[in-house]
Amino acid sequence: MNQGFLGTQAPFAADVVLLLELAMGAGLLVGAWLARAKRYRQHGWCQSVIVILNLAVITLTMVPSFRTHVLPRIPAKLSKPYFALATAHAALGSTTEVAALYILLAAGTRLLPERLRISRYKPWMRAVLALWWAALFLGFATYARWYVPNLFR
Amino acid sequence: MRRSVFVAVVVAMVVLGSAALGGKHSALAAQQKTQSVEVKIDNFSFGPAALTVSVGSTVTWTNRDDIPHTVVSADDPKVFKSKVLDTDEKFSFTFTKAGTYAYFCSIHPKMTGKVVVQ
Repeated sequence: MNQGFLGTQAPFAADVVLLLELAMGAGLLVGAWLARAKRYRQHGWCQSVIVILNLAVITLTMVPSFRTHVLPRIPAKLSKPYFALATAHAALGSTTEVAALYILLAAGTRLLPERLRISRYKPWMRAVLALWWAALFLGFATYARWYVPNLFR
Repeated sequence: MRRSVFVAVVVAMVVLGSAALGGKHSALAAQQKTQSVEVKIDNFSFGPAALTVSVGSTVTWTNRDDIPHTVVSADDPKVFKSKVLDTDEKFSFTFTKAGTYAYFCSIHPKMTGKVVVQ
């Protein structure tokens, strides 16, 4: 039955994803510090690995869960925190992941046409980092609402 | 003497008759009791978590919690599996074979229960 290990009601996969996401959030901060230290190559690798790993986690675990548990109930049940938090997390999280992938392509490759590339990276990267942590916070709140009894009641 | 025998026979018939009727009535009540049984889902638990019913009984799970849950057989292959049940939604299953049926909530796997069918 794949029970979790964090002492909540969550399944094993949800606990793994929570820890992975927290680690990825921390990893992005380390990556940002690498850029401040002018170690741009390591910065690029660090952020790229995290963005691609997050894409895999979203595709393999979050999207199927959202499709099964949330999508059939919205918009009718959006007034309930259970569905509202998950939907907000999904909307902000997917927007952030797309923005992160865009920066990855624009900054780390030459795949995009010239007019779609970014010349000033810093504000974009900082904005995506802030969005990432907001999405992470919403994800944590979603986990708490879904799997921790007697919370928010 | 004859009169006391008659009284004894009448008393015996009344006692036996009432016992027979009472037995039939209680058997009927027991049968009705096991025909349709409800399990409440609330605060991340099934109540009652363990249940004994007779063959042919229908168990209905009702989600009284404010978050969704499921009811899924732990057997392989799965004997029963509900859709995701939101608040006040129900799932019913009729047990046609004797046995012990363990089940759980697939969203919260620590939520478990069992139905013993006799």
